Amino acid sequence: MEALQLRPIYDALDRTDMRRALAECERVLRKHASHYGARALKTFVLAKTGQTSEALALGQSLLDTPAALASQHVQQGLSMAYRVLGRPDDEIAVYTGALAAAPESVVLRSKIYLAAARSLRFKEQHLAAVELAKRCRGQRTLWWLVVALLLCATSAPRDAPTTAVQLALAERTAAKALAEGQLTTLEELRVYLDVLEAQGKRAEMLAAMGADAGLAAMVLRDPDLVTKRIALMRQTGAHEDAARAAVAALDARDNWADYVHYIGAVAALCLDSDAACEPSSAAWANLQRWAAEPGRARSAKLAAVALAAELHADGRRQAAGAVPAPEVCIWDYVDGFRHKAICYTDIMQYIVGHVRSAPDGEARVAVAARLDEQLGPRLLAAREAAGRGADAAQAWISLERIRYLLQALRGETGAAAWAADVVPLLAFGLESKEARKKQPACSDAVLIAAQRLIQAAFFAHGAAGRSGQLAAALFCVVCVLEAGIRLNDNTPLLKLYAVRLYLYLSCYDRARAIYDTLRVKHIQHDTLAHIIAGQGVALGCHMPDLELCYDGVAFYDMARAKIPRELEAAYQNGTYSNVRDFIEFQDNLAHAMQRECTHRLALRAEALAHASAKDILANWADADARSIAHTDESLAALHDNRDLAVMGLLTPPDMLPWNLELLTRPAPLPGAPWIRAFSLVPQIMHYIVAADVDAADARAAELAALLAEAGDALSPQDALFARGICAVAAVYSRASSKSESIDAHLDALVELVRGRLPDEQLGEPDSADALGDLALRAIRDAAAATELFAYAVILKHALAAQRLPAAAPAGLALGELRKAGLRAANALRGWADKRLRAHIDAHWIASGDDALLYLVCSKHKQSVDLATKACVTSWQRSAKGLLAQWEQLSL
Amino acid sequence: MSALRRFRAMDLFRFNSVNLDRFTETYDLSFYLSYLSQWPDLFTLAESADGRMMAYLMGKVEGEGADWHGHVTALTVAPECRRLGLARGLMSGLEDASEKTHDCYFVDLFVRPSNAAAVRLYEELGYIVYRQVLEYYIGDGVMPTENAYDMRKAMPRDTHRRSVVPLERPITVEELLGG
Repeated sequence: MEALQLRPIYDALDRTDMRRALAECERVLRKHASHYGARALKTFVLAKTGQTSEALALGQSLLDTPAALASQHVQQGLSMAYRVLGRPDDEIAVYTGALAAAPESVVLRSKIYLAAARSLRFKEQHLAAVELAKRCRGQRTLWWLVVALLLCATSAPRDAPTTAVQLALAERTAAKALAEGQLTTLEELRVYLDVLEAQGKRAEMLAAMGADAGLAAMVLRDPDLVTKRIALMRQTGAHEDAARAAVAALDARDNWADYVHYIGAVAALCLDSDAACEPSSAAWANLQRWAAEPGRARSAKLAAVALAAELHADGRRQAAGAVPAPEVCIWDYVDGFRHKAICYTDIMQYIVGHVRSAPDGEARVAVAARLDEQLGPRLLAAREAAGRGADAAQAWISLERIRYLLQALRGETGAAAWAADVVPLLAFGLESKEARKKQPACSDAVLIAAQRLIQAAFFAHGAAGRSGQLAAALFCVVCVLEAGIRLNDNTPLLKLYAVRLYLYLSCYDRARAIYDTLRVKHIQHDTLAHIIAGQGVALGCHMPDLELCYDGVAFYDMARAKIPRELEAAYQNGTYSNVRDFIEFQDNLAHAMQRECTHRLALRAEALAHASAKDILANWADADARSIAHTDESLAALHDNRDLAVMGLLTPPDMLPWNLELLTRPAPLPGAPWIRAFSLVPQIMHYIVAADVDAADARAAELAALLAEAGDALSPQDALFARGICAVAAVYSRASSKSESIDAHLDALVELVRGRLPDEQLGEPDSADALGDLALRAIRDAAAATELFAYAVILKHALAAQRLPAAAPAGLALGELRKAGLRAANALRGWADKRLRAHIDAHWIASGDDALLYLVCSKHKQSVDLATKACVTSWQRSAKGLLAQWEQLSL
Repeated sequence: MSALRRFRAMDLFRFNSVNLDRFTETYDLSFYLSYLSQWPDLFTLAESADGRMMAYLMGKVEGEGADWHGHVTALTVAPECRRLGLARGLMSGLEDASEKTHDCYFVDLFVRPSNAAAVRLYEELGYIVYRQVLEYYIGDGVMPTENAYDMRKAMPRDTHRRSVVPLERPITVEELLGG
């Protein structure tokens, strides 16, 4: 009967027609006012439609009625409602209440277990597992208990008194399961191994992996476990066993992880023995044997490089035996595999390691120079042969990459040396018949050329005061990248560098357009959005940036809702090894640095939305300022998931002067100081609008202290903006005291804004430096000044609303400032509309390297036109955006 | 060379080197996590000596009776890691698991006929075009609408190789979904 009455509601819910579902709930409740099932489903509908307080009230009335909780419809509707509302304790209370009517219910206890598991309430999960185990002796129940114990133990502080007990209990339970034939899957074995590993019981882990023939056979089919077994042997000092197991594994399957362990075990054996080179000779012979097998030469030869590096390290030369010196193996590998695009990625770490193994800087330069000498003839021959097919072209590119690395390792800082030989690379990458066939090596040639040109530009013009030449040189690289993209649209690395350089030149529009072609979505919002997010705000293009931020916010909201469901699925499916991985993944997303930045950036862009004074004040008064506050602990707990390696670096990240990822960032990567600063700004404005002087003062003092410590962690514009907010708070503080004059602080605030506005006389910048300054600094400064003015206007509205006498002088001063701002923004816009194209032609296109310009300008005029138009349009958009802000920020 | 191991959720934070290629789709989180939670041994990746992701394969097992089979949901290799045998290695792992762990009758996959390199690879691995599915791939602004080849390879359990007798006519997506 009850089910029949509720059917129309369920039907509407199936169609996700919430309005209809609500109407059906009301219809049932009109006839049966206390119908528990209808009330529960109504709670769910209210929760889904955002009527949180109504849903909570209705849900609580059911929670307070024990008889209601016995209904399955209530259990289902109410638990779903609490999941939507993010209230796991209430969800657990639903099932716990229902147990009163069915104390032995395994289903209800399973639901409690899963509700606790989804919400990471490990203690409740453990208690539910214990209760389940008492009533149901199945294999799944048993492993749910082991997982719960493991999670309890590993989530607690290392020295917690309960940890050892919980792990011991988990071990005993798992061992019993193994003995009783209830450990039958690799997933269960993995959990058992985790329990043992948490206790440092490596020998027991090894024993468990070979506990019975069936299990051992399964382990041998799983590459992860095969590798883990070898690693465990090494960790327990059984190097001979490890070497033997690795050889067996490598005889069966080519897996680099096993090579690494094999080499480690051999090195340990060689060190253990006096003069013995027997293990190394045997290893060398094995590597030669594997190298001779079809399809395995690449792994085995790289393993030979690794073995040579290991055995020839200081103090082990005696052990090297027949193993040649690292340089011999490096070139043997390069000569064999340079026709593969992966060659450089494979060999880079060994070249770097080999150079850095030299005792001091001078010796390192000498090693790098020696390698460079050996590279020279190979490079010349490869360049000449590049037109003889895809492999030959790729071989040249691999050697060019090594050359780049060796230059960096030698500490090369001469711009000419970096720019040398760029023209043949570009001729091949953009002009050859291979380029027209879109051979991958051609895109790589363009990329290497671009990287060399960027490196040269920074070494030649990176010093302060040479912005004109730097911008001109980077513009030339942009043209090269545009030509490369035009030739082959599926070239993400060229696009990434183009995005970075356009942003560096303050060209948001084109950067955004190229970024959009990368189709960044879902998890990539977390890992890649840092490349562009926030740049729109910094360049006066607020709305497109806000859209980007909203996409990111929507992703994080979605992830928060979805991951718990998948966590539950892992328990249901018995794939327990996922549990800790999913929890770590969830934690990384929930506490992602990118998530915090996205949120703060959205707030910044929203703050620039136009509204009446009344609405602006209402928004800031209602703002939830406290929830975005951070402590040192919460900042330290943030995860940086941003994928920096995606930029395709040719040198290790720690080689700072040669690190293009770092060099081409238009502003420092937002980190803890940035997040803290942009958490304090909304708080300060909230307290000003809420007339809480003490709180505003305290936050402003925090911001000032942060600024003093931040150094280069904030961009000049962000630092300016933060200083301005301190000035806003200072004005408000004086204005509130009534006895103090605001004049000095108001003057300081006005001067801060005015000092960063573009020159009103902007007309004919007759030098490349003026254009460069516009590209590299002026637009960003103007955007920061405009944003700061928007906050000053909020201050004026707050002073007026609070009837403070300072409102009048503040209004006057800001009114004058607005006039100046309008004039400056108008000048910028007029200049951008009328002069930009001509200045770019005169100062950028006509000022670069002759051969390069000939190649790019004469043969890729369309790409140069595209880049020029992109700069003009982007700057015009920024100027237009800034002018609109000044026009609409009325007092 | 590459290290083969199971894909983990944490790997989603660093798979851009593979997924930025415009022919590789980046799916919603649930898609990846549901594969991990249901078929963890069939979702494998290859990473380079310096730890970069080179390729991955998402697979599953499904069907009933003689239709019980392994399925390749996604197989993708980073551009700079092509022609290294990674796809072969990953396919071999899936076939091995389909045969020895899951006791399947066959392994199947869908591929665009225009992806000639992939079709050639699968043929070399012993797959045949079992049937064509009309307009299986819907255009998304980057890739056009296209039919799919449903390619299959029989596993030893299918002793009479009934699973790889090609259909004579193409089928529609509705027929495919209808079983």
